[in-house]
Amino acid sequence: MNFLLQPLTLVTFFPLLGVLALVFINGEQKNTIRWTALGTALVTFVISLWAFFFSGQFNPANGDLQLVAKYDWIMVAGWNIRYYIAADGLSVMLILLTTFLTPIAILSTWKAVEDRVKDFMMFFLMLEVGMLGVFVAQDLFLFYIFWEFTLVPMYFLIGIWGGPNRLYAAVKFFLYTMAGSILMLLAILWLGVNQGTFSVPDLVAKGGIPVDIQFWLFWAFTAAFAIKVPMWPLHSWLPDAHVEAPTAGSVILAGVLLKMGTYGFLRFNLPLFPEAAVAAAPTIATLAVIGILYGAAVSYSQKDVKKLVAYSSVSHLGFVMLGMFALNSQGIQGAILQMINHGLSTGALFLLVGMIYEQTHTREIKVYGGLWKITPVFGTLMLIVALSSMGLPGLNGFVGEFTILLGAFGSVAYGSYWYAMLSAIGVILAAIYILYMFQKMFLGPAGEITHHHEIKDLNLREIITLLPLLVFIFWIGLYPAPFFNLMAPAVEKLLIPFQAVLMAAH
Amino acid sequence: MIPLSWYLFLSAALFCIGLYGVLARKNAIAILLGVELMLNAVNINLVAFWRYLDPTQMGGQVFAIIVFAVAAAEVAVGLSLVISIYRTRGTVVADELDMMKW
Amino acid sequence: MATETLIWLVPLPPLLAFFLIVLFTNKSKALSHSIAVGAAFLSWLAAMLIFAAALGREHLGEDPFTSQINWLPTGDTFLKIGVMIDPLSAVVLFFVGWTVLMIFLYSVGYHNFGQPAGDHDHKGLPPHGATVTDEHGHKHTVLSIEPMYSRFFAFIGLFAFGMYTLVVSDNLLTLFVGWEIMGLCSYLLIGFWFAKPSARAAAIKAFMTTRVGDVFMLMGVAYLYSMTGTLSYRAIFYNEEVLHHLATTAAPLFGMSAAGLIGLLLFIGTVGKSAQWPLHIWLPDAMEGPTPVSAMIHAATMVSAGVYMVIRIFPLFTADWDHHSLTTTMSIIAFIGAFTAIFAATIAVAQNDIKKVLAYSTISQLGFMIAALGMGAYIAAAFHLVTHAFFKALLFLGSGSVIHGMEHGVMHTGDHHVDPQDMWNMGGLRKKMPITFWTFLIGGFALSGFPLVTAGFWSKDEILADAFAHGHWAILATLSIAALMTAFYTMRQITLTFFGEPRTKEAEHAHETPWTMTTPLVVLSVFAIGYGWLGIPEHFPGLGGIVPNWFHEFVGGTLIHHPEAVAFHWEPLAISLVVAFGGLGLGWVVYKDVKAGQPDPLEKPLGPLYPFLKNKWYFDEFYTYYVVGPMTWVSEVFTFQWMDRGVIDGIIHSVAQLAPAIGSFLRNWFDKPVVNELIGDGSAAVFQWLGHQLRFIQTGRLQAYLISAVATFLVVGAALYYFGF
Repeated sequence: MNFLLQPLTLVTFFPLLGVLALVFINGEQKNTIRWTALGTALVTFVISLWAFFFSGQFNPANGDLQLVAKYDWIMVAGWNIRYYIAADGLSVMLILLTTFLTPIAILSTWKAVEDRVKDFMMFFLMLEVGMLGVFVAQDLFLFYIFWEFTLVPMYFLIGIWGGPNRLYAAVKFFLYTMAGSILMLLAILWLGVNQGTFSVPDLVAKGGIPVDIQFWLFWAFTAAFAIKVPMWPLHSWLPDAHVEAPTAGSVILAGVLLKMGTYGFLRFNLPLFPEAAVAAAPTIATLAVIGILYGAAVSYSQKDVKKLVAYSSVSHLGFVMLGMFALNSQGIQGAILQMINHGLSTGALFLLVGMIYEQTHTREIKVYGGLWKITPVFGTLMLIVALSSMGLPGLNGFVGEFTILLGAFGSVAYGSYWYAMLSAIGVILAAIYILYMFQKMFLGPAGEITHHHEIKDLNLREIITLLPLLVFIFWIGLYPAPFFNLMAPAVEKLLIPFQAVLMAAH
Repeated sequence: MIPLSWYLFLSAALFCIGLYGVLARKNAIAILLGVELMLNAVNINLVAFWRYLDPTQMGGQVFAIIVFAVAAAEVAVGLSLVISIYRTRGTVVADELDMMKW
Repeated sequence: MATETLIWLVPLPPLLAFFLIVLFTNKSKALSHSIAVGAAFLSWLAAMLIFAAALGREHLGEDPFTSQINWLPTGDTFLKIGVMIDPLSAVVLFFVGWTVLMIFLYSVGYHNFGQPAGDHDHKGLPPHGATVTDEHGHKHTVLSIEPMYSRFFAFIGLFAFGMYTLVVSDNLLTLFVGWEIMGLCSYLLIGFWFAKPSARAAAIKAFMTTRVGDVFMLMGVAYLYSMTGTLSYRAIFYNEEVLHHLATTAAPLFGMSAAGLIGLLLFIGTVGKSAQWPLHIWLPDAMEGPTPVSAMIHAATMVSAGVYMVIRIFPLFTADWDHHSLTTTMSIIAFIGAFTAIFAATIAVAQNDIKKVLAYSTISQLGFMIAALGMGAYIAAAFHLVTHAFFKALLFLGSGSVIHGMEHGVMHTGDHHVDPQDMWNMGGLRKKMPITFWTFLIGGFALSGFPLVTAGFWSKDEILADAFAHGHWAILATLSIAALMTAFYTMRQITLTFFGEPRTKEAEHAHETPWTMTTPLVVLSVFAIGYGWLGIPEHFPGLGGIVPNWFHEFVGGTLIHHPEAVAFHWEPLAISLVVAFGGLGLGWVVYKDVKAGQPDPLEKPLGPLYPFLKNKWYFDEFYTYYVVGPMTWVSEVFTFQWMDRGVIDGIIHSVAQLAPAIGSFLRNWFDKPVVNELIGDGSAAVFQWLGHQLRFIQTGRLQAYLISAVATFLVVGAALYYFGF
């Protein structure tokens, strides 16, 4: 009983109860299924809130791992694999983001999915379990299980309920991600067997991995995470996956799944391989800057609005990587905050695009136009979210970008202002493609779609779906201090070994 | 007492006659008769051994009774099978029942 | 309440107005404008109270009104944000308060409040007129009310919020926040009539161009932060050690000091925001917005914000100035300012749209201010900033009044092909619109620097005096010529619009605009005349010394070291008089007898230069061809088609094709022939043959089977018996 009531275990596995409940509901009773899934997701969210804020077991001022659950699992023949989950300032916001976005995504897909609703919701809840598991796992083996576990529901979500080219996109997504993961598996095995344990905190404490081996291990892990982030040039699965995925799938893909990659860097690459991280920082920064500029440039030329947003994700996450490998407090805090911001803003963008797609079944930008006259609420919300994505001060995107720029500018690991300078150009480009999208769809003369379709403005359910995201967009933009306070001590703790390493390297 | 071996010869002879009946008779019912003969030969064998070697033990008698029961059941089933075959095929000549031929 | 609290509250009423209008009062026009004007009034009131308090405090520069809160935790300290009113922000707050209030009031009349809704008006297009029937049964077309009336007030409310935030801010971060919010509002307001393609294009152009500048500014801010760990004005610009440290650290580029490079990067933000060459292209197109917007953006607030920022960072880029020769950064600033001044003036001469002339004149005057700052003339630049805000706002609002009057005429005649903004269609309006005429005249004279009675004279003269006194001959010459052209095109504008005889029927039927529009004109003209007397140099012949040079004393306190007053020389005064009278006179002479249908008298003498000037030196075409074109190519062709689809996806697809290729190779060359055929089919064939041979055993006859069973039993039994187990 104790095992089940442990907060993080409860949070991670509660959606399975939802899945179990869904097994017994007849597939014809779609509304019951939807409400059950939504209820499960909401309860999971409430549990996560309780675990972090009201249970008294989590103290953000303490930078260590908390809410620990550690049990021996497979301890044979020298393999020490444990069921080891915990959370700290680095992961708390990501866990909350996951439990926050899942009910929103489920709510958004109320009318969008009409056949095989039961299977859809079951996959979705299983996906949530996988995602939460990734963020709480502290044992490499357990982490790998959860990591791979998220691939399967996502594959089905894209492959069954997706757009016309869904099979190509689903297979590409699955194989690409798995290819990287295999390399990571090799590295995990080496670590577990050689160092005698698979638990990350123990590995970090033990240290002592020779630098040349660190190099290989670092890049093996990077292979998996870089594909997930996605970093240029390993990004090409993302546009296809996003375009073909159903709305809820896109929201959760952009909102949470991509963060698994960046989180992986933060949780594993940096603490386990500090010397390699310092050495690799300029390379990662270069790739990040290329990603920022490239993603923005390609976004501008897109005709399909979902693809535009997908490429913009490449650009935004380039900023995150830039901040993270600056290896200073501002850079990493900015990176984590920007992860959350991206989840909120891009999630909202996909929601909005999905809402109009439900009515018109096209995503081509040029057939829209003049939407603001017909759907002013939709237009206004889209404007706010677009501005947030673009980094307008006063909204959440600016706080993250600015902090990352400060971090990148003064970074010892980078040693050059140029990364920050070049990435600032990405800020201009972001304005270009976002405003272009807004202009073409909302202002101007009515396009074919606006003329021929009776497009209705957002209904209550859709507004309720978006409202929580907007609240956070404004909150983080205007008063970010509480969010920073949640992660600062953990980031400081993460950076301690780097002081010495950076001294030595420079 | 007559020696045990005379009973054994008797049962062996009966068994061989039964075997001959099974192998060489044309009529299916005659084959069943041959099978009955073999079973009874076995019974004689069992009882003889029982009587001559260890009369106090129950085993021999019990075994014989079981053989009776089995033989009766087997005859019942066998005869009903033969009747069924006769009804469908119209014959009980063993050589004509070769549907399992290659 | 304490002044500090009041300062925090200054930006709030317009923000509140924005939200109230957007969320609640959208449908009611009267309520919306009341909320907006009321909010502008409250901010004005607060601004005036603060200004009064600022006047009363001794040594405001050393001891400004400040208040901070913690905002962004960075490591173990906080990035604080707050408000501050020192002498510079006090005078800026003063003019912002007045101009914003006047513009808000003006907008009520400009958007035809009280008029009926138009016959064919759509949201997104300018109003087109409504037909009314009077008591005699005659039908008249009159001006109709703007369909998106409330939305306008919401947006200018947000705009005012942005500007106030920028002015009261005490650090570069919130300045940047206000800066960007104004950028957003300029996009929304320039593109207000969003159904017009030209308006949409202009909005994007404005946003993009200023964004380019903003990014460099952001880099400057990040650089500054990385060197000093703070963005607060007091901690940087009023702090000798920090300035010294920045001045003596070398920057990685161009051999400048860190102070110089940061100053330059921040200045580039102003190049964008204040439409200096080469990022000036957005401002003339921004005339697509309604006239109050032009007044707001281009006079009162946004472009002034750019100059304000440069004035604010003055200590930074002059940190390594030895007061003799200009540093690299200062030279660049001065060059851009002076060049812009003359460049824009030349274009203004050839423009026919009344608003476009003013637009270029704004660019030119901002160039004056920037040039002044580049030379180190702190007070002169600040002075000109304030006076310019007043008279330029006056001129823009006046031009709006003229356009309104012309539109009355257009409604009357019903000929919608006549452009009410083209000066060639005007003429003789001084009789039809007297208030507009006199106020516009005052504004125009102020712009030209008409001696003594206009504020523009005093501020412009100070800039020229400073250039002369410090021996910057090139700049002096450039600015003088620009001033001459300024007076010329201004008088050209006034003559064409107001003097002579009406050149079209529409001009004949023009009449004066309502009080909501003329009152702000009158108020602003008071400042356009009077404000100059606050800054009379001490040694000015005759008038100097009667009234102390309050402006110099007051604003000079903003800097750590009070700037010295420039010694009086009669040469720059002479130049000022000559260019002012000369330009005005020339403009009057050339244009006073222009009749309808005549071409511009300048066309023939200027020859091929005329179209060059009229088409803005073809800069827009240059940018489209050399900047936008390549960018679009890079985006569409290079990155998307070649790199992403071609190279990256090509590699992925090749890998993806490699697997099936290997697969099919293995299948066709190993799997099928060897495993399938040889081993699989082969073994099957053997057994098949075997079976074929043995099948004869299966007779189907029971007795045959039994016989073979018995035979086998005997054989095997014998074998086992004889050969053991």
